[in-house]
Amino acid sequence: MFNELDPILHSQLRLAVISLLISVKEAEFTYLKDKTNATAGNLSVQVNKLKEAGYIDVIKQFKDNYPQTMCKITPKGINAFEQYVQNLQAYLHR
Amino acid sequence: MSEENFSPQDSLALIQGMINKTKENISEKSVFFLLWGWLTFIACLGQFILKHVINYEKHYQVWWIMLVGIVLSVYYGSRMGKRRKVKTYIDESMGFLWTGMAVSFFILTIILSAIGWANTVFPFYTLLYGLGTFVSGCFLKFKPLIIGAIVAWVLAIAGAFLSYDYQMLTGAAAILFSYIIPGHLLNALKKEKEHNAIANV
Repeated sequence: MFNELDPILHSQLRLAVISLLISVKEAEFTYLKDKTNATAGNLSVQVNKLKEAGYIDVIKQFKDNYPQTMCKITPKGINAFEQYVQNLQAYLHR
Repeated sequence: MSEENFSPQDSLALIQGMINKTKENISEKSVFFLLWGWLTFIACLGQFILKHVINYEKHYQVWWIMLVGIVLSVYYGSRMGKRRKVKTYIDESMGFLWTGMAVSFFILTIILSAIGWANTVFPFYTLLYGLGTFVSGCFLKFKPLIIGAIVAWVLAIAGAFLSYDYQMLTGAAAILFSYIIPGHLLNALKKEKEHNAIANV
């Protein structure tokens, strides 16, 4: 039986963001922007969708008087990513 | 990057590509290995010259130069922290490891002085340096650090059979192999990466 791929993760930019965040402790919004080559507007929308799904935490703070947006994957996000990869493998091996 | 749905094969390739992009930039760590490496090397050799060659009574005073290391580490650490856009698990683990090592060095100095073993300090220090370098080398998957750690452990054993004066030289040699040489190799790696980055623009 083939499970549906999580629609929240099965989108290029959101999957790219989650794949980056799964490997690090936390990352700045600008780091995600640099690595994905996305526009700030598009990235912001997708980051919000991941946040609303509870897959990532977004912390807005000030660092040396400049606003800083830190993103961090949540345990729910880790589970979702692991499930997504398992479903992907099952799909590719069927 | 477009936002339309894509195939499972594309998904897998994307995941692999992104994970590769987060691979640790280990070459940034070279500054700390070089700073502490050269300071300790100079202190070991300096103490040997002051004690063994010049016969200066307060030869141990040379270790005050380590304060320079603390000041510069705080400075470089905060500068890197300001520029850093991402915090990796390796960054955090390295921070915990070397903070623990610094505390251990401090406590070891107190213990050895208290029990009157101050003249055996170098093999113990070298043993600890070996441990820190070994774990760092394994974290960073950087072979020169692992080899340096093994050399430090061998020199810790060798130091145990030598007089206090010559332990300073085994200490200096351990630092050369476990900190200074790997530190310069990391630095060379950093310059190569910068060169490649410019060439790819």
